[in-house]
Amino acid sequence: MTAAPTQGLAAGAAGAMAGPTPPSPRSDRYRPRRRAWRGARIALSALLLIGLWWLGSRVYANYILPGPPTVWHSFTDAVSRGAWTANIGATLLHMFAAVAIILLVGLPVGIVIGRSVIAEDLTRVWLVFLQTVPTVVLIAIALIFIGANTRSVVAVTVASGLAYFLLNVIQGTRAIDRDLVDMAKAYGAKERVVMRSVLLPSVVPYFLAGSRITLGVAWQVTLFAEYLMGSNGVGFQVSTAIKLLDTASVFMWGLSIVVLTLLFEYGAFRPVEAYLTRHTRRG
Amino acid sequence: MTAVGAPNAAPLVRIDHVWKQFRKDAGGPVLHDVSLTVGRGEFVAIIGPSGCGKSTLLNILARLTDATRGEVTLASTQIRVAYVFQGPRLLPWRTVRRNVEFGLEQTGAARREVRDRAATALRLVHLEEHVAKYPHQLSGGMQQRVALARGLALEPDLLLMDEPFGSLDALTRGYLQEELLSLVRRTDSTTMLVTHDIDEALLLADRVVVMSNRPARVKEIVDVPFGGDRSLDRLISDPRYPQLRTRLRELLRPEVSDAPPDGGGGSELDRQRVAAGEP
Repeated sequence: MTAAPTQGLAAGAAGAMAGPTPPSPRSDRYRPRRRAWRGARIALSALLLIGLWWLGSRVYANYILPGPPTVWHSFTDAVSRGAWTANIGATLLHMFAAVAIILLVGLPVGIVIGRSVIAEDLTRVWLVFLQTVPTVVLIAIALIFIGANTRSVVAVTVASGLAYFLLNVIQGTRAIDRDLVDMAKAYGAKERVVMRSVLLPSVVPYFLAGSRITLGVAWQVTLFAEYLMGSNGVGFQVSTAIKLLDTASVFMWGLSIVVLTLLFEYGAFRPVEAYLTRHTRRG
Repeated sequence: MTAVGAPNAAPLVRIDHVWKQFRKDAGGPVLHDVSLTVGRGEFVAIIGPSGCGKSTLLNILARLTDATRGEVTLASTQIRVAYVFQGPRLLPWRTVRRNVEFGLEQTGAARREVRDRAATALRLVHLEEHVAKYPHQLSGGMQQRVALARGLALEPDLLLMDEPFGSLDALTRGYLQEELLSLVRRTDSTTMLVTHDIDEALLLADRVVVMSNRPARVKEIVDVPFGGDRSLDRLISDPRYPQLRTRLRELLRPEVSDAPPDGGGGSELDRQRVAAGEP
């Protein structure tokens, strides 16, 4: 058992949003001037991607590789019809309902499992099952038990993400510094105070790592589940569009999700993370 | 109110034939029939080889672990205990101020009082300029001073200290030892200090309890005759000081034979106080 937060099998999904890496020994090579060059290189690679896309779209037919103007048109069209807001809203609702359930259930359950060997033994097989069962199988099971609807989408997302979050919270609970608990008890802290002032704050880094993985999994699985059994949401729109060979819409929904993910990452997750780990900053 | 430093004052702490054996520890008991009484207002230093169970004794007093056999009794259940550990044990997510407030918060004192007393304790350890910092922004010695302030802020009836000055530089250590001395003499605090440092024990304590190597027994209890009003300078010029020092050094010399001294039990030893300066 390592002390580092679990990355789990979802590391790939979450890796794209991984937080700032600790400065490497070589990082002091990058003086401000070099940093400007790095920015320029990144911008260049973005321009190259868009350029290649543009060029490709002139070679291939519109239904295979639509160009940027076509995709933009698809976007403005969806917005004016109200479809963009409605479906993005539905997907966000599915996703955040699932994430909220995972966090609210996972935090207390993870702490209990982390503190009790009995609870650990009793849940072990369940966790291994949740972690290893393929999402497609979960979707198939949900189709049989719940049917093709929103509840199924949320249920499959919860089932896919819960194990990763739990494993992080369990590990955080185990990594707690016994010396701090003893200190609190020596000063007469009640169990409730130990929980609030020692245990919960020390789980925070693991909670954040788990949340990040959960969000990565949830973005992927929600869309996948909508695609296969939804009646609304971005995933459902993609499945409809591809059946009509409306490739421009597929690109448009894909790019919309990319932008939203980045907005959420930098606009919400990182500020919350910075606030919760403010005591680790030097200054 | 009893006279400060009087060894025969009503006992606040009674340690009665305490044994401690950790499970899964093949090395035998850590504490071997330890008995000791500590009077109200008294300052007792516990000195002994490393790993001899001195910290375990404090942990039993702080109710962090139970004695395997024997009993530890405090004069009342209302007794306010503060424990300054060997390491700082600060909460990393709390500022210096909030760390010092931690012990006070558990007493249910009013918010304002908690603030004031924490501020006073922080001034005492000269950290008033660092109250808003987090522990990782301080040096190890400063962190240990925060831990000390956390204990002192409580104005405890019983102050347990486990080598609290070990990690400090000599200057800070000397200053804080004298601060602690004047503080515990001013208040009615009873202090039990675990230390390796003979000079520290002689500077601070009314009695020095010498523990034997593991399994720890009370080997001898040495009275320190310097009275309430002392300082390092005054101690050095006192002719009894080098004698006591030599005596403690000899007691702490590693034992060749592990056989218990004649008369055996620690309970007997408890009464065998050796008057200071005797050969």
